[in-house]
Amino acid sequence: MRQLAPLTALLLIALACEGDKQSASSENAAAAPGGTVVISSGGEPDVLFPPLSATTTGQQITDLVYDHLADLGTSLNTVGDEGFTPHLAKSWTWSPDSLSIQFHLDPRAKWHDGLPVRASDVAFTYAIYTDSATASPRAPLVASVDSVTAPDSLTAVFWFSKRSPTQFFEATDPMVILPEHALQGIRGQALRTAPLARAPIGSGRFRFVNWTAGASVEIAADTANYRGRPYLDRVVWRIAPDPNTTFTRLIGGEADVLEDPSAAELTELATHRDIRATLLSGLDYNFIQFNLHDPASDSRPHPIFADKSVRRALTMAVDRAGAVQSVYDSLAAVAIGPTVRAYPTTDTTLREISYSPDGARRLLDSLGWRVSGADSIRRRNGRPLEFTLTVPGSSRNRVNMAVIIQNQLKQVGAKMNIDKVEFAAFIDRETRHKFDAMMGGWHVEASPAGIRQTWSSAGAHAGGSNYGSYTNPTFDAQADSALSAMTLPERRNLFKHAYQTIIDDAPAIWLAEPKNSVAIHRRIRTPALRPDAWWSSVAEWWVAPAERITRDSIGLRR
Amino acid sequence: MTRYLLSRFAQLAVVVFLVTSIAFFLIHVAPGDPFADAVANPNVSEAVRARWREAYGLDKPLPEQFVRYVTSVARGDLGWSFSKQRPVKAVLSDALPNTLLLMSIALFASFAVGIGLAVAQALKPGSLTDRVIGGISLFLFSVPEFLLALVLLVLFTYKFQRFPIGGMTDLDYPSFTPIRRLADIARHTVLPAITLTLLFSAVVARYQRAALQDVLPLDFVKTARAKGLPERVIVRHHALRNALLPTISLFGLAFPMLLTGAVFVEKVFSWPGMGSIIVGSIDSRDYPLLMSAIIIGSVLVAVGSLLADLLYLAADPRLRDAR
Repeated sequence: MRQLAPLTALLLIALACEGDKQSASSENAAAAPGGTVVISSGGEPDVLFPPLSATTTGQQITDLVYDHLADLGTSLNTVGDEGFTPHLAKSWTWSPDSLSIQFHLDPRAKWHDGLPVRASDVAFTYAIYTDSATASPRAPLVASVDSVTAPDSLTAVFWFSKRSPTQFFEATDPMVILPEHALQGIRGQALRTAPLARAPIGSGRFRFVNWTAGASVEIAADTANYRGRPYLDRVVWRIAPDPNTTFTRLIGGEADVLEDPSAAELTELATHRDIRATLLSGLDYNFIQFNLHDPASDSRPHPIFADKSVRRALTMAVDRAGAVQSVYDSLAAVAIGPTVRAYPTTDTTLREISYSPDGARRLLDSLGWRVSGADSIRRRNGRPLEFTLTVPGSSRNRVNMAVIIQNQLKQVGAKMNIDKVEFAAFIDRETRHKFDAMMGGWHVEASPAGIRQTWSSAGAHAGGSNYGSYTNPTFDAQADSALSAMTLPERRNLFKHAYQTIIDDAPAIWLAEPKNSVAIHRRIRTPALRPDAWWSSVAEWWVAPAERITRDSIGLRR
Repeated sequence: MTRYLLSRFAQLAVVVFLVTSIAFFLIHVAPGDPFADAVANPNVSEAVRARWREAYGLDKPLPEQFVRYVTSVARGDLGWSFSKQRPVKAVLSDALPNTLLLMSIALFASFAVGIGLAVAQALKPGSLTDRVIGGISLFLFSVPEFLLALVLLVLFTYKFQRFPIGGMTDLDYPSFTPIRRLADIARHTVLPAITLTLLFSAVVARYQRAALQDVLPLDFVKTARAKGLPERVIVRHHALRNALLPTISLFGLAFPMLLTGAVFVEKVFSWPGMGSIIVGSIDSRDYPLLMSAIIIGSVLVAVGSLLADLLYLAADPRLRDAR
């Protein structure tokens, strides 16, 4: 019965979503300005300055206050410019050799303080993002751009030293355009203390209203915006650090949106007819990563995991589908490799290492790891097949998953100890490579380029993100080729080879690919939500006049 | 008296300095990195992380960092919060008054309620009233702060919808009149203040009842009874003052206890105070913010103990004369 409850909830959610699609199209004509959306958020933004913001809430707010030159579509295609929609740039022109892109700015675009947006703002923005004194975490994402020039007030030109399939994506997605006049003479770390960092002036369809520390952030419709007034009057993020409170705010009617409710909360939401939950393809995957080097000395191979056959045998011993089903129910799919299904470049027909406890036992026997002694643990040359899995205690799902896998490995004679540590300590061990195996996870960007840092040799050095130190020149070459492929079909095919190589090498047991979910009050109508950024379409959300509640009628207020 | 006060302030400064020093080294040697989230982001290169560490002086040897920190604190500069991206002073000036508001309401209410309950128990020891109040006090004494807070939150905000679900002000607070603003804050304060009051009044009641039980058999109480005074007058006017001394000690302990309680209660009720600041700064290894929270905590403890000593002097003439 416990298993059935979440499934029933998901069925209700699916039916609810279907009903919404039908009603949304028929009622679209009823969309009229007005309404307030309150987002129940667990975290406060760090800063509202996009080059430095590192929090999801901060990104949500700045994405709505500022503009990109063009917006990545719901297909998440990062090759060429297909699927991108004009934002600050009303059009663009590729040079014949594809080494530059001219963006033609919309002449109607204005900053929220009334000044016009100019091409010099675009060049300034690029300079700020890439200035080493800014130390923006987003700087590496625009590394392929050589320079940005502004030949006239409405034309910005992005120059590249070489062609790449994701040139357009790199020119438009990582950066939002900043107002040069509001940051005159401010550089480096002083940007953090600039007034703009807490009270942004953008050109987006919402303008910033206020930020009450520890409590809320409010934005309101920019009624004279060049891309049109958003339907909603106001969007407010109400901050509550306790997850029980964020959820209670939603079901108690004090909030309209909750990001990523848990499985238990989704079950509860199924009983609230005024709230609908939408499942989105996730951009996360998690795994057990093996350290291929000895944690005691990075120059020595790991006594167990350096052997690819042992890693494969341990992978065979794990019932990944069963573990994912037990922990996530239907809120995650079994991970297929170091990628996510939301990428158009992911081929889901990859050959996985199948679950076979008998096969795992045979393989371990053949490798000389045999059961000897009363404890049923395999040994080879006196060394037990025993290791420690480091797990971040802050993730209940990962802890539960570890316990299930511990039992499955025990069935084939492998002893896995679980070391549950605080998140900061987990990261510390990860970066210092002081672990046998760890329950890791990656949240990926819209582009799969991050694989170079996380799984190829380029990230295996000290300070890199390939913590298990997996290296295979074949995989490196295949991943590089895939990332250089100029067409989507070619890219997809080459990625398939790269993923197959790493799956066969088993540097990790690929576990789960959690889905994202967002719960929204039913009176709010939304278009299709982007998997990596459900908030990107908030300017198109609307509330039917007949269904408005008290807070919807307050208007712009200030 | 002046000399006594000066020596106590000097002791207070030494205690705060020692606590600050020990805490500084302990939190810096604990595993973790203020940029753990950035470390978990493969886009953030080691060069960028190094730049951040350099910008915040974290690349310097620990003793040098300590000297720099102490020097800047002595100048009144509490540093820059990594997680809030603001000066620590600005973060504290937003959060500390909110916590002090909650703590002061809870402090006075819990002493009033706790002493009142203890008197009610002492008037009829062993009676049903005594046993019921004792049972409730024991329950509240044992229940974890967050659990009581959660129960009250669900009951009074969701089931009965009598109070707002967390926060300190309503969504439309900026458009309210000054009177309505006060009423709005009061409405939001009720549940977190009640939670803290319930928890701490149980402690006060148990201490006070035990103290009254010790005093009631003494000779001066017997004399009062022999004079035919009503039991109510005997307890309130004769026994209570003499039984207040252990409760005054409790007053000194109340500050750290309430601050600890506030950490949990503020989190559940999304009260924008020091509680969420402390928890958040530990999670994010925000050293300057955490250090400032520790300094404030140690000052509160030291001031609480000083106040308790002064109240002792006021309440007990023997101590005054001895000094």
